[in-house]
Amino acid sequence: MSRPGPAVRIARAGMLGAALLASTVPSGAAAAPPPPDVDALLDRIDDLYRSKSSIARIEIAVTSPRTSRTMRLQAWTRGEEDVLVVVEAPAREAGTATLRVGQNLWNWLPRIARTIRVPPSMMLGSWMGTDFTNDDLVKESSLRKDFVARIERRSEDPPGWWLTLEVKPGIVGRWAKIELLVSEERLPVEERHFDRKGRLARTMKFDEVKVLGGRRLPAHMTLTPADVEGQRTEMRYLDVRFDVRVPDETFSLSRLEQNR
Amino acid sequence: MRVPSTVAMAWRNLWRNGRRTGLALGAIGLSVTLVLVYDSVLRAYGDWMTETVTGPMLGHAQAHAPGWRKDRAMDRTLRNLDAALGALRRDPEVVGATVRLYAPALAALGEEGFGVVVVGLDPAAEARPMGLLAGAPEPPRGKRVLMGRPLAELMGARAGDRLAIVGQGADGSLANDLYEVAGLVDTSVDFVNRQAVLMDLGEAQTLFAMPGEAHEIVVHGRDASRAAQLAARAAAMPELSGAEVLDWRTLSPEMVSLIAIVDVVWVFVLALVFVAAAAGVANTMLMATWERTRELGMLLALGAGPGRIVRLVLAESVALGLVGALLGAALGLGLVALTHRTGVDYAALTGTGPSEISYGGLRWSMRLYPTLSAVDVLRTVAAVVMTSLLASAWPAARAARLQPTQALRE
Repeated sequence: MSRPGPAVRIARAGMLGAALLASTVPSGAAAAPPPPDVDALLDRIDDLYRSKSSIARIEIAVTSPRTSRTMRLQAWTRGEEDVLVVVEAPAREAGTATLRVGQNLWNWLPRIARTIRVPPSMMLGSWMGTDFTNDDLVKESSLRKDFVARIERRSEDPPGWWLTLEVKPGIVGRWAKIELLVSEERLPVEERHFDRKGRLARTMKFDEVKVLGGRRLPAHMTLTPADVEGQRTEMRYLDVRFDVRVPDETFSLSRLEQNR
Repeated sequence: MRVPSTVAMAWRNLWRNGRRTGLALGAIGLSVTLVLVYDSVLRAYGDWMTETVTGPMLGHAQAHAPGWRKDRAMDRTLRNLDAALGALRRDPEVVGATVRLYAPALAALGEEGFGVVVVGLDPAAEARPMGLLAGAPEPPRGKRVLMGRPLAELMGARAGDRLAIVGQGADGSLANDLYEVAGLVDTSVDFVNRQAVLMDLGEAQTLFAMPGEAHEIVVHGRDASRAAQLAARAAAMPELSGAEVLDWRTLSPEMVSLIAIVDVVWVFVLALVFVAAAAGVANTMLMATWERTRELGMLLALGAGPGRIVRLVLAESVALGLVGALLGAALGLGLVALTHRTGVDYAALTGTGPSEISYGGLRWSMRLYPTLSAVDVLRTVAAVVMTSLLASAWPAARAARLQPTQALRE
């Protein structure tokens, strides 16, 4: 396995994670129709939301066939492995937190004043009732390192390119293939994740491109599982600050418990 | 009247050779006993398998919201539970009806979380004999819950421990609360032992934000073999409109085929036992008639017609078969009656084997409760009498056709 990749390497695994971990990337918008260099393009997408550290406020809306709800979160990241997400709203769940350090994931539950580590067997379970899995939050993967990519065809609407990414032999992950649509601006527009049996498992769409934290990137993402009609999770960055100082103790269990 | 005199002669003849008749009665009687005991065990086996499969968890029929069985989504719930249960309980075939709620959750004593399924249930209804809580130390009540013993061992939980439960409500919200482990349960259902936290239904409905709702209605009828009709009637009830109601055979086809396979094996064994018993009876009757060729020749010489000889021998055979079969039936019924209540622990019969076996996610006790119906007994007795009749008819007919002088020489 590759070394702990930028967590979340976004897309493939969790745009959430990806989004939460950001890194330094020259975000010069590339222009022009000549087909992009695939490696450079994937590097750019891998690093889009990454930084040495970040603080973000995020709104998540979960729509299921019979219910819908909205949460507001604040998230801190440091490096590629440490993430803290705290629920701000709704009030009933405020203060509930998820801490990732390395490959470990804990939930803090203020109502019962308990910290509970998420066991490996629950990694594919829903994270906070969304369509994201716990796994998406700790997943280490990189589009460029884990996949062999080729430009499939030109896309007219929106203008850009469809890429096909096939997982490299020996890489352990949930997705065998990803179809990725990038715009001429070299930003992700859509990702389709195919599982190890070749079935479309979920689709992620990126839109509302704007400048956040000094970078131009899609602020809104919609994750739609393929198997449940009427089900989707939307995530919107309200604001992001990249490369801000985040105190080390932010990512500790004792801090998690003290905070509240 | 010739027939009564023939019967009287036959009866007298039977006791002229007491030893022979006694042996024949013994052979016939033991065969009947053997067949009946086998039959009773076979019946016990069928009942036992059905009861093991349907008793604790499955029931004879279940109702769910459409789609729940496929994805087990928390929010695919049944509502109007009281009305539905009331309607079901009014059906004369229904012995019991209860509701359950199933919620995947994370359970933790300390920091380490474990994946569990919270099963919300009505403790009173589940305490029925063979029910899920039949062996529970105490019913779950309020914030006191039960855990499967293997799950508790995995987690290191003991009675009295505080258990945090975290899951997702039917509305998508976060569900979390603290509970006390009231006790551990060993049920016959692997899933419950390994994964379940059993919680009072009302408490589970509150925790998972689904007041007045549940995922499953379980119905027990009088007779598992009439479950399909029961499910069809329940499906037609207005109180269950919109729900998917299925009988246990449809819900658990793999268990049905398991039972069918075992049935075939046992019926085959029973057929072998029966053929062996019939052969014994036939042999006894053949030999008994054969031996008496001289005696029958004497009767012919004294002027008895061949028809009378045949009727005489047949009357003897029927009497012998009937008396033997009735004696054997009495003995067989006695044995079955002795063991019906306490059951036969056939693990003990096989020596040091386990007292329970686990298969198909269920734990099967090795204790059988032999049982018989009147039809089984009548069928066996009738078959034995028919066998005696057929087995003696041929030598009797042969004797009747003999020249008296020739018969006397044999």
